[in-house]
Amino acid sequence: MLDVPIYGRIATLELFRPHGEAQDFLFIATERYKFCVLQWDTESSELITRAMGDVSDRIGRPTDSGQIGIIDPDCRLIGLHLYDGLFKVIPFDNKGQLKEAFNIRLEELQVLDIKFLYGCSRPTIVVLYQDNKDARHVKTYEVVLKDKDFVEGPWSQNNLDNGAAVLIPVPPPLCGVIIIGEETIVYCSATAFKAIPVRPSITRAYGRVDADGSRYLLGDHAGLLHLLVITHEKERVTGLKIELLGETSIASTISYLDNAFVYIGSSYGDSQLVKLNVQPDAKGSYVEVLERYVNLGPIVDFCVVDLERQGQGQVVTCSGAYKDGSLRVVRNGIGINEQASVELQGIKGMWSLRSSTDDPFDTFLVVSFISETRILAMNLEDELEETEIEGFNSQVQTLFCHDALFNQLVQVTSSSVRLVSSTTRELLNEWNAPSNYSINVATANASQVLLATGGGVLVHLEICDGLLVEKKHIQLEHEISCLDINPIGDNPNCSQLAAVGMWTDISVRIFSLPDLNLLTKEQLGGEIIPRSVLLCTFEGISYLLCALGDGHLLNFILNTNSNSNSCELMDRKKVSLGTQPITLRTFSSKNATHVFAASDRPTVIYSSNKKLLYSNVNLKEVSHMCPFNSAAFPDSLAIAKEGELTIGTIDDIQKLHIRSIPLGEHARRICHQEQSRTFAICSLRYNQSGTEDTEMHFIRLLDDQTFESISTYALDTYEYGCSILSCSFSDDNNVYYCVGTAYVMPEENEPTKGRILVFVVEEGKLQLIAEKETKGSVYSLNAFNGKLLAAINQKIQLYKWTLRDDGTRELQSECGHHGHILALYVQTRGDFIVVGDLMKSISLLIYKHEEGAIEERARDYNANWMSAVEILDDDIYLGAENYFNLFTVRKNSEGATDEERSRLEVVGEYHLGEFVNRFQHGSLVMRLPDSDVGQIPTVIFGSVNGVIGVIASLPHDQYVFLERLQSNLRKVIKGVGGLSHEQWRSFNNEKRTAEAKNFLDGDLIESFLDLNRSKMEEISRAMSVSAEELCKRVEELTRLH
Amino acid sequence: MAPSSSSSGHGASKFLGDLPSRGFFSSTVPSSNPGSMRVYICLHDTAPPEDQEIKTNQQNILIRSLMLKNSSSKDGKGVATGESSRKRAGEKISDSRAKKAAQVCSSKGASNNETPTKDLQNLTVERLRALLKAKGLSLRGKKDELIARLRSADG
Repeated sequence: MLDVPIYGRIATLELFRPHGEAQDFLFIATERYKFCVLQWDTESSELITRAMGDVSDRIGRPTDSGQIGIIDPDCRLIGLHLYDGLFKVIPFDNKGQLKEAFNIRLEELQVLDIKFLYGCSRPTIVVLYQDNKDARHVKTYEVVLKDKDFVEGPWSQNNLDNGAAVLIPVPPPLCGVIIIGEETIVYCSATAFKAIPVRPSITRAYGRVDADGSRYLLGDHAGLLHLLVITHEKERVTGLKIELLGETSIASTISYLDNAFVYIGSSYGDSQLVKLNVQPDAKGSYVEVLERYVNLGPIVDFCVVDLERQGQGQVVTCSGAYKDGSLRVVRNGIGINEQASVELQGIKGMWSLRSSTDDPFDTFLVVSFISETRILAMNLEDELEETEIEGFNSQVQTLFCHDALFNQLVQVTSSSVRLVSSTTRELLNEWNAPSNYSINVATANASQVLLATGGGVLVHLEICDGLLVEKKHIQLEHEISCLDINPIGDNPNCSQLAAVGMWTDISVRIFSLPDLNLLTKEQLGGEIIPRSVLLCTFEGISYLLCALGDGHLLNFILNTNSNSNSCELMDRKKVSLGTQPITLRTFSSKNATHVFAASDRPTVIYSSNKKLLYSNVNLKEVSHMCPFNSAAFPDSLAIAKEGELTIGTIDDIQKLHIRSIPLGEHARRICHQEQSRTFAICSLRYNQSGTEDTEMHFIRLLDDQTFESISTYALDTYEYGCSILSCSFSDDNNVYYCVGTAYVMPEENEPTKGRILVFVVEEGKLQLIAEKETKGSVYSLNAFNGKLLAAINQKIQLYKWTLRDDGTRELQSECGHHGHILALYVQTRGDFIVVGDLMKSISLLIYKHEEGAIEERARDYNANWMSAVEILDDDIYLGAENYFNLFTVRKNSEGATDEERSRLEVVGEYHLGEFVNRFQHGSLVMRLPDSDVGQIPTVIFGSVNGVIGVIASLPHDQYVFLERLQSNLRKVIKGVGGLSHEQWRSFNNEKRTAEAKNFLDGDLIESFLDLNRSKMEEISRAMSVSAEELCKRVEELTRLH
Repeated sequence: MAPSSSSSGHGASKFLGDLPSRGFFSSTVPSSNPGSMRVYICLHDTAPPEDQEIKTNQQNILIRSLMLKNSSSKDGKGVATGESSRKRAGEKISDSRAKKAAQVCSSKGASNNETPTKDLQNLTVERLRALLKAKGLSLRGKKDELIARLRSADG
């Protein structure tokens, strides 16, 4: 499977097969009026552009009901409805090539849907439209390509269901069209008209089951899946039948795959793979959900919290809508699920051992301390219990342990290597270090031991049945700091290579085994000695990993040639994982090998698409790790932390982990309170009682660990929760939840009444402390100088928290500021207030303490319709607007005139292509204080499509550097379908288009790392910067998220 | 949902028989983890073949229609043989707009519509705007559009 970036928001997507082609082509039209036709070339595994073009018109009013793109079933033309009153035609010639497009005047201005009819000698469209009196009709037109015009089609049908919104063209032999309304479903053709009533529902999606079009799946707004059947006698339609099948996520698309498997694509909940069963289950449902595919959208609100208090942010989103509403906890890195733990101080090393060579599970866990070695084993009660292996020396520290062939175990201590039978547990053989030399470091695999004694002597022993045989020893010029002989060749028990890290000359060397010939040597540079080396294979590529004493990790690709017995280290890369020495160990999870780097910032190293990836482990500090796959704790890891030994399983190895907390109702606002360890959410529940749909709004208190609802406050009828905040006030030590509401009356255009409610959490309950009536909807609440700042309709209002004579508290209005259309989004910093207006972009207000007044300081005079604002720093403010753009404005305090100072200057513009609902300061990754990227401030955004993104404020020189890289990348990485990256990222709204400025596309820049070597070199030459330096700079950037 | 479903008893079972199977699946058990998808990086030239960069014909719809009628009358009406009944009214009228209106409206039996359209053509833009305003329609656009809008409102 491939994830193909398209430079545009896809408006329509159609698969078709032109005449004379052996495979289908894909037609894509973007919302910014570009289209392309793509072909998949199986030989080269590339997407080929067959055609592309611009379908915009200089004049014309964009359609309100969405762009329509359709292809004639006989592949004579592509039809587009992009502007009211115009139908654009792109004809095919008889070779399947596209010809010049032209417009046809379409009389119907309020078009709801257009489809091509099947089985017509001339291409015929059926148009569903609404007239001036809001009545809905369908009409057919034939497209006369020669005249570039319509002629009246074979039939029309007036006065349909008022909710008719979807047309389904029926393929031959039946032909005609099905019109789905809210209360009726109609089949219509030139010769037949059949209608059936249905229970009121809004159909969102349909999917055809049979090629002859006799059965369809319909998905409605409540997530109910129905089967629509056209009953027919040969080619004559006799009627329609509809049956309820069961419940799914609220469907946006339905695709019948095959064998009764159906894909339900949802933009309100998780997408699903479902199976249709012929027999209903116990609940009467024919739908069996087999698989869910996570969808975070629409993200209406989110907050960034550090629930585990590890200095790493997690995002908790209000996701989904209607019945599919949920909270999602999104976190970066890999979690360890603790299963058991014991207190143990001063662990110096750990190894797991099996009781016999062919035992699938580990039995013993050898834990080494500074002056003893303890052996733990699982007892019959599945508890870890101390035991003994008689042949081991447990009076001293163990340097290394390993299972060996022939049911043997190996223990290396500073004085000797002991070979022990794993069945009798008795000593079989011992190899003693030369007198006056002690063993410093050692390693082993199932058939070999490699050790280094003082004085730089490297010794290779072979493990035979009951015997240790010294094969070879050599004298090196320096002391040895670390060793590894992890087998990476064909034989899993025996290695042909040994990796050796050296003191003094700071190098890593590769020797051949068993004869210890030096194959290659790599100077590491710097003054930090290697502390751990590891040979390993990921996805068929061999690597040498080398960890330094300062938390850096070097990795090399190891190229071996067994014939000439040579070996080279290539593609050196350096990353910083932590600040303390790292110990490397391999482990397996789900049949793949990964490497655990134990340090102050434990990390799992894994490979995806032949690229090494690093993922944080959500533990504070790990000194040692070893895999411990016991019967009681399968696939577990033993982890030595400060003063503790933990056994736990590891999450799936992937970057982001998403936990889902289904609410069954739609959460719209969320906020976290550190002190009470709770979340509070504003949510609404839709009730369907009989024919009436009602909404109930709640404030719910959730535990921040279990996410259980522990207290609920129901709002009044028609009262919506609009904003929520956790804050405290001056002269009061309590922390409160403040909630802003609006009474949304059906007859009012804008709410004229609302409330501010102040709650305190007492014994896990929401207690209402104070309430204040407002003259409008409270769109936003902010803590401001120990007071409460509320945005109420067109006004910004400041409330102070006062003590009444009777000891109770109340909100008292202090001052306000008028002059907005609707002040929807408010952020504050010090005395400054940044307001995002419904349609008047961003304005900056200031609170004057002496006068007790709020005044406008400056504003952006563009007419942007805002969807979110955030303050980046004292002078720069970030905004997101309705046409999927981001922009930044700057306060101009140094302006010469009042006029200049009162203007917020637009400094950055960018087309994000996502509708942003919320910005929050914060980060999903742990920031290392010593790294360069640790200083870069970031803002997280959440969008309607469920995208979580990071906006980082780069220092100027880094921006300039990366901008050069981006412009070079644009030349190398081409837009699929010939779409231009530059055009896609240009700021665009209905009034103007401007090149993107002061924003960079991180996704594009990071794709540098996926380029092959020659393309990297090409860019490196163009920029006169070494490819390694470029990789390093881009890799640094990837650590921001 | 449908009134029939309660009466039929078996519900959807009888309609769910023999769902199509075209042998697309090698396995009917979904893989537990589809895995992370590789991001496609496009390094080859993605410009379309030479003549396949599609542009829109910029000729005004009405002028195009006019040209078409002119040429077709020279051609001896070869184009519109199938529409000769509709063409009757339009043939002698030089204004193609009227022709189109006639075409569209003739099917509704309102073939005398060309006169008001022609009248509209003689009015000034300001006058047209006033008419539009009276009907509560948008005042934007060129004269041709204003007329079209008025016409469609009338039609």
